[in-house]
Amino acid sequence: MADYILLAVASLSVAALGVPFLQYFARRGNASGYLVIAAVGVAFLAIAANAASGSTSAYPFGSLLASDSLGNLFAMLTLGVALFVAVASLSLVPSSQTANSPFYYSLLSFAALGMVLISYSTDLLMLFIAWELMSIPTYALAGFKKGSAASNEAAVKYAILGALSSATILYAISLTYGLTGTLGIAAAAASLGSHLSNPVAGIAILLFVVGFGFKMSIVPFHMWAPDAYEGAPTPIAALFAAGTKKAGFVAMIRVVLAISTAVALTPGSGLFTLPNVLAVLALATMTLGNLAALTQKSMTRLLAYSSIAQAGYILIGFVIYSYGQANPAFAQQAQLGMAGALFHIINHSVMKGAAFLAAGLVILKLGSGSLDAFDGLGRRMPIAAFSLAMSFLALAGVPPLNGFWSKLMLFTSVINTPYAWLAVAGVLNTALSVGYYGWVIKRMYLDEPGGDQSPVEEPLTMALVLGVLVALIVVFGLEPGPIISLAQHAVPALASLTG
Amino acid sequence: MGYVLSLLILVPLLGSLVTFAASSLGGRRQSASYIAAAFALATVAIAAYVFWFVYSNTPAPGYYALTEDHPWIALPGFGVDILLGTDGLSSPLILVSGIVGVLAVLSSRSLIDKREPAYYSLMLLVLGAVMGAFTSLNLVVFYLFWELALVPMFFLIGVWGGDRRKYAALKFIIFTFAGSAVMLLGFLALYFGVSPSTFDIPNLARAGVPVALQYLPLLAVFVGFAVELPVFPFHSWQPDAYEQAPAPVNALLSGILPKFAGYAVIRIGLGLFPAAAYDYAWAFILLAVISMFYGAVVALLQKDLKRMFAYTSISHMGFVLFGAFATVASGNPLGIEGAIFLMFAHALAVGALFTLSGFVEKESGTRLIPKLAGLGRRFPVTAALLAVSSAAAIGVPPFANFIAELMVISGGISAYASTAVTVLVPVITGGYFLWMLKRVVIDPAQEAGEPGEAADVSRLDAALVAVYLVPLVLLTVFSFLVLTPAAPVAQWTANLVHGAKL
Repeated sequence: MADYILLAVASLSVAALGVPFLQYFARRGNASGYLVIAAVGVAFLAIAANAASGSTSAYPFGSLLASDSLGNLFAMLTLGVALFVAVASLSLVPSSQTANSPFYYSLLSFAALGMVLISYSTDLLMLFIAWELMSIPTYALAGFKKGSAASNEAAVKYAILGALSSATILYAISLTYGLTGTLGIAAAAASLGSHLSNPVAGIAILLFVVGFGFKMSIVPFHMWAPDAYEGAPTPIAALFAAGTKKAGFVAMIRVVLAISTAVALTPGSGLFTLPNVLAVLALATMTLGNLAALTQKSMTRLLAYSSIAQAGYILIGFVIYSYGQANPAFAQQAQLGMAGALFHIINHSVMKGAAFLAAGLVILKLGSGSLDAFDGLGRRMPIAAFSLAMSFLALAGVPPLNGFWSKLMLFTSVINTPYAWLAVAGVLNTALSVGYYGWVIKRMYLDEPGGDQSPVEEPLTMALVLGVLVALIVVFGLEPGPIISLAQHAVPALASLTG
Repeated sequence: MGYVLSLLILVPLLGSLVTFAASSLGGRRQSASYIAAAFALATVAIAAYVFWFVYSNTPAPGYYALTEDHPWIALPGFGVDILLGTDGLSSPLILVSGIVGVLAVLSSRSLIDKREPAYYSLMLLVLGAVMGAFTSLNLVVFYLFWELALVPMFFLIGVWGGDRRKYAALKFIIFTFAGSAVMLLGFLALYFGVSPSTFDIPNLARAGVPVALQYLPLLAVFVGFAVELPVFPFHSWQPDAYEQAPAPVNALLSGILPKFAGYAVIRIGLGLFPAAAYDYAWAFILLAVISMFYGAVVALLQKDLKRMFAYTSISHMGFVLFGAFATVASGNPLGIEGAIFLMFAHALAVGALFTLSGFVEKESGTRLIPKLAGLGRRFPVTAALLAVSSAAAIGVPPFANFIAELMVISGGISAYASTAVTVLVPVITGGYFLWMLKRVVIDPAQEAGEPGEAADVSRLDAALVAVYLVPLVLLTVFSFLVLTPAAPVAQWTANLVHGAKL
């Protein structure tokens, strides 16, 4: 049987290592961009073939990587995002930096490679190495606008906090190894849950939550996100929101949610359980994200906070799944919640990808990311405005767009459980979010342009990229069955059901 | 199995696409109104067929006619069906939506003069969503169509509305979205409540929602209904939205959209939460009565015609809520029958009034009652239509509105004798409409206007307003057309609510 995953890894590695040499040969044009697009495309097809083959093979030395449907889902998702980001970068990364473009695309391939490896990791050290492989290139990418002080500041801030989170994860791994004597994720997770009488186990679990939570930008580990999103080139902000963030989610699912804990994380405190911790984080994340988004004046910051809020919704599925791990009575809800979370992760990538890339186009053409620049955009840049409006409606959960279904599943999954208040909070937050999504739509379609009224040219590549993303928003909304089914198959088996 | 109801939804939705594509690509913006009118007429024809079908083949209590079941999401652990069906509760609303839809499109011809392709496309989108909401028997699909009507309405108010349109549009969308989001929460609570899990209204009703699951969800869905109707104190978006929306849009916004909520109160509020509805009936009746009086008294104080009609609407929608819960409290189906009848009649009466307000504004440049004095002399046809439409809204015989109000109030009295005080509401309504007519139609103009500056309402437009009113007169004689199919639904709901407490 063919090793599709290795093909994907090889394709991305060759592109990542080879593209920088291109600058000696082709100084002109976007040759490196096209090569990386081809490499990511090949990797995507390879993963799709792997998913179609239903392979469950394990990779080098038996236990570092394994192919399963959860991994396939995240690998395809993150590669899809990388592909869109690479294509959009062709028109969105300003030409003054094309001299460095081979490095830009090389870093992008490294990050894509890291995300693929994270998706399939079954070993904590492998996971950590893949995590760094993904993170380190993105620190450089965040600061890619070399002349811009804001971009440099964002990169430094992001790199320092990123290093902190990596260190946190590494510390959690070392504690886990010390307690359980294994680095295999499944074995370690199973064992951690039974070591809870030892407070170190609880600490290790919480450190994992903190470390992964940083990349997932959940409150209170989100501080870097708005700055980094604003300072980075906009396609890279799309990569953060739609790509690397999702790698944090899969790591959380693989490591933290596999732990079945019916008991409190620290001895003697009945409320301090893993689902409760996640529930509080979910509440804080969605509420703070939405409240902060309401007050933003810059589009990328607004999108960054909206992205934080969406992570809060996704956490709802994690909460009920973690609860179901220890309570077989809620297995049905747990499976629906996790399927909803996975579906929302997919949807969020599509919606936020569309939003960031459309915003990037506007910022590039109008030279400003302030919300004032979006006044009357419906007439000046109809394609960008329509894509933004559709992605905002989907993010707000307007049926029949894709975001509606995944939120529906997430809220339904908790409503008859002890976490019903999360559904209430989620619904109220959704209502709150209409305040800023509707506000921007109002500015784009109801307000008149402030200064210049002339129509602005929108490049064909961007029209295509945005067209495909908007089509996905609509198609996933009108025909959600296949994607939900895909998500359902990727839900890891509940420990409470398998014994 | 047929495809009548699918057609009813798809014809306007398709019309929405065709209108936009044909008229914007073809370059002739004006053609949009003709294309839209053709689709709206086709819709009303199907709606009339549905109405007639339900009248002649009234489904047994608790069952539905013309049902269709299209699985949408059919997965283990999660399923949503597009389950369509109609009965004596929804068929009158379907017909009246069709009538108001086509009249709204036709009356736009002389009132809307910018960006026609998008305008007519959005109007048909609303009409399609309305038909979907009234025929959906699945909670999620119902919610979907409900929301689908709100988004185009945001643009219709925000782009084509009056001076404060942007504020009104944003307020409208935030309020109604927040309300429907809370309503959705109530729907979701039911999913795992019965086994097998379902969002289908008939299955939920048949299985019976566990009593413990009725109270909080009823309150949640009621928030959505209360914002949409609207009921005091959830109404603050409504006068702004009604005032700023362009007149033809108003016919849909005030004539049809509140009926979503009136319909849902009976179908979902009472049908799925009978025990809770029974226990809370007194509270809902209290709210309804407050709304009826509040709307009427505040309407009295309004200077702007549209705001006055808006508050009238609050008062009349209070009647609908009152009727529904009067049946709950007393077991007398009269209340629900009256509520259904009133929803039909109210849609046409306010449709006529708001459309007229558009013509008045176009002719005189203002909607302010004090400035409109002398309208009777300057624009006699408009003034006459205004007087007749007001009579319909007040409920003067031969307009059917009086039968409806009579039924609701009698139903109410059979529940709580003290609610007899609500007979004052039609009195107040009569009072402020007559006062308005005196100031606008009878009083002479304060300053000599420039006569001949604007033309009176055109014959076609006058005919459109008349068409709103004709069914109201006919209904007085042929009230059985609505009431006969409505009776089984009302009786079934009354039995259900009382059965739940025995």
